[in-house]
Amino acid sequence: MELKTAASLTEGFLKEQQITKYSYTVSQSEKQELNLENGGFKLMRTVFSGGGSVRVFLGNRTGSASGNDMTEQGLKKLVEDAKAAAESAEEDPCHDLAPDQGRDVFRQGTTEEDPERFIGRIREFLETVSREYPKVRIMSGRGCFDRWSWLSRNSNGTEFSAFAGQYSFSVEICASDGNKTTGLDYAGFVTDTLDKPFLEMADLRIKLENIQKSIDPQPLQGKFEGTMVLMPGCAQDFLWMLMSNYLCEGVIISGTSQWLDKVGEQVADEKLTVSLKPFDKRIVVGERGTGNGFRSEDVTLIEKGVLKTHWLSLYGANKTGRPVVKNTGNDLVVEPGDKTLEEMIASVDRGLLVGGFSGGQPGANGEFSGVAKNSFLIENGKITRAVAETMINGNLGEAFRHIRSISREQLCNGSSAVPAIAMDGIVISGK
Amino acid sequence: MLQDMIGSQVKLFADGVQTVLRGQENRNRRVVMLKGNLVQNSRSEGAGINARVNHHGTFGFASIGEYSTEAAEKVIRAATENALFLSRHSGRNTVLPPSTGAGTVPLNREIIDTEQKELIDLCRKVDDYIAGKYPDLTSRTVVYTEDSQDRIVYSSDAFSGHLTTPRCHVFVILEAETKDGVPVQLFKAFGGYGSFRDHFTRPEEMYPEIDALYGRLMDKKEGVYAEAGYKTVILGGMMGGMLAHEAVGHTVEADLVRGGSVAGPSLHQQVASPLVSMTDFAHTFAGKTAPLPVYLDDEGTKAEDAELIRDGILVGYMNDRESAEEYGMKPVGNARGWTFADEPLIRMRNTCVLPGKSTVEEMIASVDDGYYLIDSGNGQADLTGEFMFGVTCGYEIKNGKLGRALLDTTVSGVAFDMLKTVDMVSNEVEWSSSGFCGKKQPMAVGMGGPHMRCKIMIGGR
Repeated sequence: MELKTAASLTEGFLKEQQITKYSYTVSQSEKQELNLENGGFKLMRTVFSGGGSVRVFLGNRTGSASGNDMTEQGLKKLVEDAKAAAESAEEDPCHDLAPDQGRDVFRQGTTEEDPERFIGRIREFLETVSREYPKVRIMSGRGCFDRWSWLSRNSNGTEFSAFAGQYSFSVEICASDGNKTTGLDYAGFVTDTLDKPFLEMADLRIKLENIQKSIDPQPLQGKFEGTMVLMPGCAQDFLWMLMSNYLCEGVIISGTSQWLDKVGEQVADEKLTVSLKPFDKRIVVGERGTGNGFRSEDVTLIEKGVLKTHWLSLYGANKTGRPVVKNTGNDLVVEPGDKTLEEMIASVDRGLLVGGFSGGQPGANGEFSGVAKNSFLIENGKITRAVAETMINGNLGEAFRHIRSISREQLCNGSSAVPAIAMDGIVISGK
Repeated sequence: MLQDMIGSQVKLFADGVQTVLRGQENRNRRVVMLKGNLVQNSRSEGAGINARVNHHGTFGFASIGEYSTEAAEKVIRAATENALFLSRHSGRNTVLPPSTGAGTVPLNREIIDTEQKELIDLCRKVDDYIAGKYPDLTSRTVVYTEDSQDRIVYSSDAFSGHLTTPRCHVFVILEAETKDGVPVQLFKAFGGYGSFRDHFTRPEEMYPEIDALYGRLMDKKEGVYAEAGYKTVILGGMMGGMLAHEAVGHTVEADLVRGGSVAGPSLHQQVASPLVSMTDFAHTFAGKTAPLPVYLDDEGTKAEDAELIRDGILVGYMNDRESAEEYGMKPVGNARGWTFADEPLIRMRNTCVLPGKSTVEEMIASVDDGYYLIDSGNGQADLTGEFMFGVTCGYEIKNGKLGRALLDTTVSGVAFDMLKTVDMVSNEVEWSSSGFCGKKQPMAVGMGGPHMRCKIMIGGR
């Protein structure tokens, strides 16, 4: 069914139910996916999908329903289910919709696939890796072309629609030499062009080089306080943990964030500026409309270490009396620093270059503890060896207050742009 | 429940390939009450059909988000075309795995839906209980979550059947502050396999365990950080289950063995203390229904238990039909996909370290200086078996007695090294069935284990 037809039907069912405040989205998508296993092609997957989601407001009560049955009967049921959920809900005046944002059509990425060129790029990647990195094994991987469209309307008058598409490629890699092996590592990117060999995209070459150097990593002995240099992918993981622990809606509404009353204050080192930038040119398909019905905007959360805002939806903003953030996406952009990664490593007396972190979400107090994966020991400004069974321990808030340096280079993988970040005062422990 | 509209289309299965056709519906219900505020109130349903075709080791898969006879025809044709197209690029030409039997597996149970109002009322009642009895908490969250799979499977040369896996849970998350203002948190999951009425018609039955959770949170409020280092610990049953799943289970999934996991060269070797045995149970444990029973997988293999470690020796892997042929093992139903759009991957079902002979009391009494680690929030492991588990609840053990509670910490190690240090195993197993395993797709899994005394690395400052 055409999206406009599905939207009109949904609108009709809402009116039939005498619902005057609502929002809904209908969508269609298509995926072509090539799966790799052990350095070769294994499975080709095609997914045709679509669906709708409806949110209904009955006074101060709200409920939502979603499903993928795009028939007339399916859309009718969706409206009925959303209404039933709203009828069951409790009064809460903080639930609301964004005011009228007008109408717009967004076109992003590429919606035309070139399957022969795509499969050619993947084959070229596999052949190059086999030739240049003979000890590296492509355990599994995926090359996808995704194309989708959606149409979203609400009772305040907003109507957004989008047509988008992108290629994505990701691999799980390890390396071995005889019985000596490494752990797993991951790399990937999204793109709207096939102009460059995949090995030259994002940090794929760096990841392959590092994993080939990581065969037979050895446990660290003892414990010391030092510097951890987070590679960009790992720095991104730490930044999401930071935002989840201190900025997200849940911890602000519950009042458990340790940055609850810190807006306008210095919460991190002045070298750190963190934004969500869906309109950054390096982001292939950035968010254009938020879940609450706002037009998405670029938002800076931390600027030169100063907390500019919490990350609140319209509900969270109404609940806490704080400003709404018109961005619910994941388009993370961190400003680069003034040192090369090489210079950052050269300045460290003792520490770790950390490629990955295997640890849980830190507790509400920010204490983190986990295993350093794909990591190397730094001694006297030089990388000396790969390590295994090595833990890193610290406190998120403190770590971001003790940033030693940020790299000039950023990892741009089509959905984010993040540099390497070095932090002092981290407890690094082995057996 | 799905009605069978796809069985008539098996006539379209091509010759010379193996084809599986699957119709599936996943349902989700979710209610989140944060500090008394209803912040999420949603229902979702997704149904569709997929087909997978094995053309001599190269696979084609296609799915459509539509449940109809016409959609079945489309996916069979598209999956067959995908397999043929890719086989021209893959260069694979393996012999198709042999059939291990064919027939029909009967429906295991119905899925019973519940109105959203009942779900909200349940959360409100539990929330009111907590808010009324424990006003000193800094925050509380009550979550009702339900996910169910309803699958109809037809295969060209294996079993067919109509199977369901309904699952629902209530999560209670309590938060308090230490005297220094540091937030601490604990959570507990209630429920499991089945529908709302199987678990939640009497919410008051949860209250004693909520009271116990509050008690442990108050202990944790006064808690201390664990001393970092290589320590003697008693791992609780939930930690044992996490170990079984994350640290050992993933390394013995045959696709990861093929990718170079430590289990490859370790088959038929001593990988654990002789006290340790481990099995991935299909649908029955100790004569009762396993936490998340699987009777038929998405390749049409009738499910049986997969024995993995026997008396410390690694004796088997978890397989799909292709890998079982490659490793000379029998496929026992580990190939599963999460939604109609997902191809089957090798997944765990109910993975468990088997019970031993000791009691928990004598195990704790046997430790002079160590830790009792009760519950874990999360865990990860990789190909080498190097693992990490977050510890959310634990206590010191001093001179055979429990001491102060622990603040959050992390333990790590290498599975096949750590399992060799196990020298006591308790006589009871604790199960968890509330989690998802992530491996390209999510998957509902059960995991269980007894208490184990062992040596392990504890993180901390």
